[in-house]
Amino acid sequence: MSNEAHALPGQASDHPYLRSAILHCLLIAASFVMLYPILWMLAGSLRPAEDLFGGGASLIPSQVTIRAYTQGWFGVQMSFGRFFLNSLLIATLATLGNVFAASLAAYAFARLNFVGRKFWFALMLGTLMLPYHVTLIPQYVLFQNLGWVNTWLPLIVPKYFAVDAFFIFLMVQFFRGIPRELDEAAQMDGCSPWRIYYKVMLPLSLPVLATAAIFSFIWTWEDFFGPLIYVSDMNLYTVQLGLRSFIDSSGTSSWNELFAMSVLSLIPIFLIFLFFQRLLIEGIATTGMKR
Amino acid sequence: MSVSERSPAAAGNGESNALARSYREAFRRNAPGYLFLAPWLIGFFCLTLGPALGSLYLSLTDFDLLQTPNFVGLQNYVRMATADPKFVSAMRVTFLYVVLSMPLKLGFALAVAMMLNRGLKGLPIYRAVFYLPSLLGASVAIAVLWRQLFAADGMVNSMLAIIGIEGPSWISNPRYSLYTLVVLSVWQFGSPMIIFLAGLRQIPTDMYEAASLDGASASRQFWKITLPLLSPVIFFNFVIQTIEAFKAFTPAFIVSGGTGGPINSTLFYTLYLYQEAFGNFRMGYASALAWVLVIIIAIFTAFSFLSTRYWVHYDE
Repeated sequence: MSNEAHALPGQASDHPYLRSAILHCLLIAASFVMLYPILWMLAGSLRPAEDLFGGGASLIPSQVTIRAYTQGWFGVQMSFGRFFLNSLLIATLATLGNVFAASLAAYAFARLNFVGRKFWFALMLGTLMLPYHVTLIPQYVLFQNLGWVNTWLPLIVPKYFAVDAFFIFLMVQFFRGIPRELDEAAQMDGCSPWRIYYKVMLPLSLPVLATAAIFSFIWTWEDFFGPLIYVSDMNLYTVQLGLRSFIDSSGTSSWNELFAMSVLSLIPIFLIFLFFQRLLIEGIATTGMKR
Repeated sequence: MSVSERSPAAAGNGESNALARSYREAFRRNAPGYLFLAPWLIGFFCLTLGPALGSLYLSLTDFDLLQTPNFVGLQNYVRMATADPKFVSAMRVTFLYVVLSMPLKLGFALAVAMMLNRGLKGLPIYRAVFYLPSLLGASVAIAVLWRQLFAADGMVNSMLAIIGIEGPSWISNPRYSLYTLVVLSVWQFGSPMIIFLAGLRQIPTDMYEAASLDGASASRQFWKITLPLLSPVIFFNFVIQTIEAFKAFTPAFIVSGGTGGPINSTLFYTLYLYQEAFGNFRMGYASALAWVLVIIIAIFTAFSFLSTRYWVHYDE
């Protein structure tokens, strides 16, 4: 990690320590500015309600209390526990679908020979650019006719058909890097494509499968538009919808409770980030992802 | 790929026999591929291509979700172009958002990536800190936070008060509300930054060494080495981030409470589309809006690609 120096020789040799000290100062200041809003929200969630904006821009609460958390948890008619459980279920099922369906398609594109492969691959890449709004209304009509509106099915089932081409693209890139000799050897031994897929390719692709799973989980967890359109029964609400109805029901009067629930909604993403940062960053760097 | 390469071997046998064999052969070769592709193919036809064509048709109708759609020709598009002030302001807001946030976001991303690419200690920590907002930014929680940051009695005004400035209510003032969303977008410069960092590492160090031996200044090195060699990455980030910006929805929805207000100042295109489709149930009109978005993105992408010959340098 430390050998990527592009030190510019002419200047760096003048005052190497001063230079890097200045850079560090700048970067630390920038980091602080970047994180300040999040820390401010965290501090706000720990303030007592009477302290309404009394703390101003300060990060240190006059008095620390978790009352915002215990009250915010039941801030709308339903407990946030329900919303968290719903989000967790939806995100897990969607993630499984994405990884499963995308890896099948990616294996076909990366390794199998069939007529029309290049044609389908080009179409798949084309769908990467297509804004989802263009399929939105007919999909809604379709799901309505299937009786799926106000269920989770529209949020989950499409993932089992690899609708998000990004994950296919990500996996194709990785699969192509796996030495062909390995699956050719397996083929010599009489392995079927299916066996090669799950005995050779999948075990060798754990990093990319994990990257896809992580992004899939985070995106589904953060998704607001899908649940907004399809889910109206509060029993089925996701965390994002729960937060939204919190704003609607209480306005900004119980802002510290709203902050508390917002902080909680970010914790799963933050934990994933903490543990899988390397995979996330490599995933972005190799494919150039949107977010 | 090709079926014919083995058939000469079968030429000695009877004609029909050979044909049957080559069909079997073709099936044997192609079946696994299509089997593995089956879920994607079903999804492509039933959830992407079919619905896309469906919305193209619906855009020519007065569909309202309840009654059977009546064909109205190009009426929806005509209305958009001539008789819909909200469409015009949605366009204006969205373009302003893209034009303001994109240069700032990419500028910050490149500047910070270059600072991080100097072999500093603690790179992984800085990188993580700058990337975190990109990861969290799409969630409702961050939009909620933004609403409070820029509220009349929010954090930003508390800070301004320290230096004696009385700030306006940024969110509820139509003059400033869009800028708060621009700031939110720029705050999320982390993911293009990571792509820039990966691109900067591809530039051979000896080019800089040779340039500084020749006495080239840092700014000259930036314009003559860094920028040209990084131009494919800049192009990539530019296209991807701009398309994403056109599609932005959640921040505008949460910050304005779903209205796009005050006075349509945060009425993003996608928010307007949502209001028309699921607020007013003008599904036909919303479909037309969606197709106009596709056309805008297509034209933008096409022009970007055409422009590459003037400024993007690919390896010879």
